[in-house]
Amino acid sequence: MKIKVMTDLLEANDRIAADNREIFDRNGNLVINLMSSPGAGKTTLLERTAEALAGKVRLGVIAGDVETSRDAERMEKYNLPVVQLTTGTACHLDANMVASALTDLDLSQIDILLIENVGNLICPAEFRVGEDHKVVILSVTEGDDKPLKYPLMFKESSLLILNKIDLLPFTNFNMDEAKGNAHRMNPDLDILELTATTGQGIEGWLSWLKGRWQRRLESLRRA
Amino acid sequence: MRVCAVHELAIAQNIVDIAVAAAEREHAQRITRINVVSGEMRGIVPMQLTFCFEVLAENTIASEAYLNLEIVPVTGRCRKCGETFTVKDFLYICPRCQSSDIEITGGTELRIKDIEVE
Repeated sequence: MKIKVMTDLLEANDRIAADNREIFDRNGNLVINLMSSPGAGKTTLLERTAEALAGKVRLGVIAGDVETSRDAERMEKYNLPVVQLTTGTACHLDANMVASALTDLDLSQIDILLIENVGNLICPAEFRVGEDHKVVILSVTEGDDKPLKYPLMFKESSLLILNKIDLLPFTNFNMDEAKGNAHRMNPDLDILELTATTGQGIEGWLSWLKGRWQRRLESLRRA
Repeated sequence: MRVCAVHELAIAQNIVDIAVAAAEREHAQRITRINVVSGEMRGIVPMQLTFCFEVLAENTIASEAYLNLEIVPVTGRCRKCGETFTVKDFLYICPRCQSSDIEITGGTELRIKDIEVE
């Protein structure tokens, strides 16, 4: 006997993501799911963001890592609520892991929750965690063809950050090519260029974040 | 143990859960085949998925099921001339008019189509 199923395989995850979403709505959080390959600059961008927004916006961080709590330790000096999620064998955060971290955060005291996913350009794109936006960082040392090789990541994201642009002269990275490839995957993708280590171009990211937060507050007010 | 350290593990678990629940609803004794549709863009590695599935299906009514994975290619539609085509080798370019203004129309699916039970 044949039984028709037609069930999306990520449905279970998406259900939990929707539950997380409700919690975020209730607490008025803007939630960003930050993704990239290892070493592209996620933690450094979080550090710069924490410095720049200290005293202006209440940030919270969930830091995902396979093994260590190094990323969370780096964030500690900024006096933010930080929860470290060590995923063990998993190469991504899923909605359930994020749900488990939420019990350790007072979300009513957080405006923007930044979720640092596990360094990986494939798996994190598959799993919604209840975020408003996925943001992907691509550093110029990785190559301008990455959007074509990891299309889902770029298709799912709202913003692409091209990081380490101070290293451009030492690479064969073609900026126009990279942007063109990314827009081919996702014509609505916003793109910013910056160097997180020096802070060059960081204001573009901050104003993007601010704009999205404003929009989030407006839509919550209307709801 | 560092096996299945990939998204295939989570997906395999969902395959087992969804298939077993669907079979039990029909009071089936065992599942003989599971037909899964996976878009190429999902980047599923069939060998990893099959391995994870075998591990997770043990001691369930899906333990002897054959996992059939149908990979659906990435397809696109040209926004300029309307041509529909299959994307090969990451070439997101219209084969008719060479435009790169492409809408992706297929290749992101990931679902169980149907199961066969006894």
